[in-house]
Amino acid sequence: MIKQPNVIFGNSEVLVSMGRKGELFGFFYPRRDHAQHVEESLACIHTGEKLLWTNSNEWNATQSYIEDTNIVSTKLYHASGIRISIIDMVHPEVPVLIRRFKLQAQNGVSGKFYYYSNFNVGETSKKNSGFCDSEARLIAQYWQDYYLGLYTLPEFTEWQVGKAMDTIWWTNSKYDMEDGKLQKNKEDIGNINNAAGWELEIKPGKAEEFIIFLGAAPTRPLLYKRLRELSKQSLDYLFEKTREFWIVWLSKKKVLKLPGLDAYGSLRQELFNSYNRALLNLYLLNDHKYGSFVAAPEFDSNFEKCGGYGFCWNRDSSELVLALKHSGYPEYCEKFFKWCIGAQMADGSWFQRYWLDGSTAPSWGNFEYSTQIDETGSTLYAMDVYYRILEGLKKVDFLEEVWISVLRGAEYLMKRSKSGLHESCMDLWETYYGTFTYTNAAVYAGLMGAAHLAEENKESGLAKRWRKRANLVKQATLERFWLKEGYFAKGIINDRLDKTLDASSIGTYIPFGMLSPKDPLERDMILFTIENIQKKLSSPVNDYYGIRRYENDQYINGNPWIVTTLWLSEALFALALELPYEGGLDPHAKTRKRFTEQGIKFLKWALAGTTSAGLLPEQVDKSTGKPAWAIPLGWSCSLLLDNILLLDKLCRKTNGEKPES
Amino acid sequence: MVQDLCMFSGWDEDTEIVWFKISYPREKGNLAAILNFLEEHGVDIKIGHIDNTETEAEGKYSIFSKIKKEMDLEKLAQEMKAFGPVKEIEYGISKYKMIYAVDFTMNVIGVRAIIARAKTLADVIKTFYDNAPHAEGLLIQSGLKGGIEAAKYFKSIMAIDLKNAPDMIAELYRAVGWGLLDIKCDCESMTGRVIVKDSFIADVWGEADQPVCAFMSGYLAGYFTEVAGRTIQVREVSCKAAGHEVCEHIISPAPDSAKLEHLMRGERA
Repeated sequence: MIKQPNVIFGNSEVLVSMGRKGELFGFFYPRRDHAQHVEESLACIHTGEKLLWTNSNEWNATQSYIEDTNIVSTKLYHASGIRISIIDMVHPEVPVLIRRFKLQAQNGVSGKFYYYSNFNVGETSKKNSGFCDSEARLIAQYWQDYYLGLYTLPEFTEWQVGKAMDTIWWTNSKYDMEDGKLQKNKEDIGNINNAAGWELEIKPGKAEEFIIFLGAAPTRPLLYKRLRELSKQSLDYLFEKTREFWIVWLSKKKVLKLPGLDAYGSLRQELFNSYNRALLNLYLLNDHKYGSFVAAPEFDSNFEKCGGYGFCWNRDSSELVLALKHSGYPEYCEKFFKWCIGAQMADGSWFQRYWLDGSTAPSWGNFEYSTQIDETGSTLYAMDVYYRILEGLKKVDFLEEVWISVLRGAEYLMKRSKSGLHESCMDLWETYYGTFTYTNAAVYAGLMGAAHLAEENKESGLAKRWRKRANLVKQATLERFWLKEGYFAKGIINDRLDKTLDASSIGTYIPFGMLSPKDPLERDMILFTIENIQKKLSSPVNDYYGIRRYENDQYINGNPWIVTTLWLSEALFALALELPYEGGLDPHAKTRKRFTEQGIKFLKWALAGTTSAGLLPEQVDKSTGKPAWAIPLGWSCSLLLDNILLLDKLCRKTNGEKPES
Repeated sequence: MVQDLCMFSGWDEDTEIVWFKISYPREKGNLAAILNFLEEHGVDIKIGHIDNTETEAEGKYSIFSKIKKEMDLEKLAQEMKAFGPVKEIEYGISKYKMIYAVDFTMNVIGVRAIIARAKTLADVIKTFYDNAPHAEGLLIQSGLKGGIEAAKYFKSIMAIDLKNAPDMIAELYRAVGWGLLDIKCDCESMTGRVIVKDSFIADVWGEADQPVCAFMSGYLAGYFTEVAGRTIQVREVSCKAAGHEVCEHIISPAPDSAKLEHLMRGERA
């Protein structure tokens, strides 16, 4: 069943996704895309009469992060007066999840405390093997060289390892918990689950504490060592160590000031918080070995309602690394572009999506007509943006490293855009085949970026050739797709011009810069596009409007998206920044203010659509205003960073500060 | 046992299917008088349902009837309302001639129930078998929950023990149309067998190599486990779908120390 997390946390090897009642949805180790070892893992109380599962509707929950960290605090309240306070964190250096449960009961409780898990080690329910080492007081489960283990403080006094889904149902640990007594079966194989149990005696006004260490390792001895060593350290020490790790990591960020937002109440603080959260999220979506990113932690691995999100798309990741670079983390660019070089296809293109190690992922883009040309354009464009920011020797080294890749990518774009418009392929939304405004803008940006890199590499012939084609693509897109109604057509689908308005047409300006606000005619085109997107694609919810992808969008109910909405606000902020500041009675002040205010409204709308812990989804439910799909989406995070950084620049400029170099 | 409940009544251009819900004081002779009235007015009753459980004073009689199209329904209803033994009357036309429960929704042992074709459920079960790993375990565990809940419900409304429990579950199975049970079980050792005639799963399944009523085994296991207060295993050893005359489920206590892999192959501890 598809479950969307409320929080994620982890370290460089582990990514955990969790529901708002502290139930684990995913435990990814050692990569963000593979393997997901946990089907269920949560606490439960046996009151002496019945089981109170902590994820049931009987509990009210609040959940938040400890400020500026990836440590989660969950508080559960039961009508009977039982209160559970959970702290969750992953040790910064070893792949061990540490869960502290503190239980209190207004009227006292006498029963059992259980910790139940259904592990699918190696991302399979088949051929797993599980055991309880009652001497080491450790429950472990393994498949090939993935070992998952559970160690507890205090030591559990009873346990069960049983068949999770079999005809011998009475060995099932979940069932076994029903009578408040576990059978203590020591080992089993197949599709198995486990439970650890303790006597629970809480007097009114007193508290009981249980700590669960859920660790991973490639071998059994290493698993034992890791869990034993960690359990020797005090929880306070582990907490402080983890907290310090995140605070130090976050301290490298570009500092925001955001002056002059007093009129917006708590907005300034909200932006600080969400900026930090987006950064912390991106750390968790990044593969620290390869440099690639998952679009979002996988939540639909069976592809029941979509094609899954636990893979790397060049389109998304190119934007992520640039946003991280602008936020003060350049190292992500370097690693990602290295990964790109290795992942590039033989024809010079980049594939629809990849596993994080660079191998091709399950795809519906295996042919020339079904690939996504914009991914190649986006990658080349991002390489050039990064190059422009670099200085000195780093510039030289980077160009040397990526040049062959740029050459191959640019020639691929040349091959696929001979007529001026790109050849038929799949659109960025993975819905239509054809020729699209967004993709053409990406081809333009990719070729322009490549041309700049060629110039820098003293390849003026290539630079000229690529720039000429880029201009032809721009000319063809404007001539063929710009409509007298004041917006770009979606593209050509089934050999016919499709006049559907698609929010991605703002890509002609943000991010690809095919249209320049410096040119009066093009500036008008940008403004008309923004106006029409607002007019035709707005979806009212959460006290303002989010932007849908395109007219008659059917994907997951046609909700408004964070990405499309933040494109619009980013365009508005960028336009405001383009306006020259003139002293005295600044003739642009009114327009700048209007753009800024409009942009802020969209930005606030995006913040209103996060989970209770501040995670940005892909979509916001058009009826309830709640986060709807793919949580957190890296692409949404990167656009939020871009928006906040632009707004910061705008606020500083308006406040009279000199722009940074 | 099969009745054509909740179905199309057949298509007849000249008639309409009309439902009446008639409330009447629960006094001797009233219901008979109403029946006579309907018969005299040419109301052909296809199915009727008397409900005397809601209040002590008032009965409710719901009927589906076939009536000639030319009949003035409003006039008939007015006459009926004016008729002494009738307190209230509601009526309506079933446009596509389906017969249904006039009181929507309905309950079975305490929770909302629906009527489904056995084939629909068998198709769901087949889909599990075709696609889900551990389908048999999954079905047993799904049934288990229902069986436990049924026993809990019975416990909440009447005295139930191992002696009357078999008859109770047999009555329930018959009432909901799942099958006719013949249960022989020793209360002490909790060993025995259940013969299921007309199992709703096996009946519509078609041919199968293996027994297909795992859901039913699970339901019975849950029921007896809850009543007995100890873990009871129920396994289907023969099945009508697999060519046997009837479906047979074996009841036994779940062994506490046995090689699991042996148990999975049906061996006793």
